[in-house]
Amino acid sequence: MKETLKNSVLPLSSISKQTLIILVIAESAIALLAWHLTGNGLIPSPLRVLDAIIKLVTEASFYDEFFKSIGLSFKGMGISLVVAVLVSYLSLIPIFNPIAKFVIKCRYLTLTGLIFLFTLLTQDGSQLRISLLLFGIVPFFVTSLMSIIDTINVQEYELCKTLRMNNWQTLWEVVIVGRLDQVIEVMRQNFAISWMMITMVEGYSMSEGGLGTMLIKSNKYLDLSTVFAILVIIFLIGILFDYVLGQLRFWLFPYTKLQLRK
Amino acid sequence: MAQHVYTKDALLLKADNICLKYGDKQILSDVNFEIHNIQRPNMSQGQVVSLIGRSGVGKTQLFKILAGLIKPTSGTVTIDEDQHVVRPGEVGIIPQNYILFNHRTIYQNLKIGLDFSGQKVSDEQEKSIIEDYASKFGLSEHLKKYPMQLSGGQRQRVSIIQQVLTGNKFILLDEPFSGLDILMVDKVIDLLIQVSTINEFNTLIIVSHDIENALALSDTAYILANKEGVAGATVTETIDLIQLGFAWDRDIRQSAHFQELVAQIKFKI
Ligand SMILES: Nc1ncnc2c1ncn2[C@@H]1O[C@H](COP(=O)(O)OP(=O)(O)OP(=O)(O)O)[C@@H](O)[C@H]1O
Ligand SMILES: [Mg+2]
Repeated sequence: MKETLKNSVLPLSSISKQTLIILVIAESAIALLAWHLTGNGLIPSPLRVLDAIIKLVTEASFYDEFFKSIGLSFKGMGISLVVAVLVSYLSLIPIFNPIAKFVIKCRYLTLTGLIFLFTLLTQDGSQLRISLLLFGIVPFFVTSLMSIIDTINVQEYELCKTLRMNNWQTLWEVVIVGRLDQVIEVMRQNFAISWMMITMVEGYSMSEGGLGTMLIKSNKYLDLSTVFAILVIIFLIGILFDYVLGQLRFWLFPYTKLQLRK
Repeated sequence: MAQHVYTKDALLLKADNICLKYGDKQILSDVNFEIHNIQRPNMSQGQVVSLIGRSGVGKTQLFKILAGLIKPTSGTVTIDEDQHVVRPGEVGIIPQNYILFNHRTIYQNLKIGLDFSGQKVSDEQEKSIIEDYASKFGLSEHLKKYPMQLSGGQRQRVSIIQQVLTGNKFILLDEPFSGLDILMVDKVIDLLIQVSTINEFNTLIIVSHDIENALALSDTAYILANKEGVAGATVTETIDLIQLGFAWDRDIRQSAHFQELVAQIKFKI
């Protein structure tokens, strides 16, 4: 016990899973307590938020909105992933490289300025949402994918050369198959961005519903407990997906477990 | 000292006036050497040549040039009967840090070598060839593992077999003895002797700063060093270990005469 206590403040030392769980629980409890003690008045206390969550999840209409957001986010993620993967792989063919470079730079364009344009270009609210989402996520996806491709060791390409693979076979072996596990990791990391963007995008086209719309409405009526309740739900769902995608990676690509610091 | 009966005939590889510059810095200057096919009666004796030099002298760069992976600033490397300029893929390489495909199991890593060898074999045959090599080199129990689960020495053996399976007659090894303990070094030497005698045209080129082990394995050694007044490293000495009676004897490191040679060379690199 003494040893673990010492280790938990020593950089780069490894602690057991059990100790980690204890640390997480203890630190969360402290955070909740702090929230409880400071959070009276304008900020609703944890118990009031809990009440609001229970009230929310017992309402049938909540699930409509909830699954709308989940559906939209899955659809957005799915399409973005396909587009981003294509753009990134194609970037290795010189003629397509400028396109990828441009897409990456699109991170600096703000969605808010483009809503008008997208409204003109799309037919209805759900199309508008999907296109905004795509526009928001793809540049981040491509950025992460390209940085994975950039960090591939030259020696891996050299190995392919000495095995007499041609450039297409090398691309397939090293970049596509060899880095498939990392695509999942990119998906996991960027799920956060898309999940965050969901509520924003939903706010731009309120008539379609979703958690984002709920959030904005509750904000308008200063119903802060509900706002916090939705936030907590969004937060938990995010963590759940993060975990699921992480496990999916280990399950599909068992070798990835070997490359992590124990 | 054993005197062997042998002849040297066809030219297999020729490094002709290799120069390499990075910016203003001359790394290699006029590196010349030739590798000829050695023949010994009643056996398929391959060639083992080492390039010995101290750290930073340019061995790895020369290694890449010999493999056709980088182009020298001037000069050529030509191989085979028709002495054509080497192309990447014609010379197998075992780099300093034994690169393998981390997303493939050992079996699949070996299989990919065989797949690109150009020879058509059925899945059945493929399996038996791989299992055969694996058992010969003590890897049978590791075939299902991933490279990250193997020790450095094991990875190196996989790397060597992978290159042998591609059917390359030339195999370049960059520092094959570094990071191995004494027993492992002996194992690698045995392994390389085996590889060099599988086929009479098999040619191993070892790039190393480990004088003793490199010499013990080789039939010819070239010293790569800086000559006074010349920028960049070049071949300063050729050691014919067959003539000296030190070649093809796996216990040669115990000979006092051999150790004398090792001691002399230490001062020349
Ligand atoms: N891409 C590069 N650009 C410029 N200089 C380089 C480059 N690669 C290597 N060098 C220089 O070339 C010289 C030779 O490097 P090399 O890696 O061939 O050494 P080495 O003999 O293999 O050393 P070691 O035994 O430590 O592996 C070094 O001085 C190094 O700094
Ligand atoms: Mg080197």
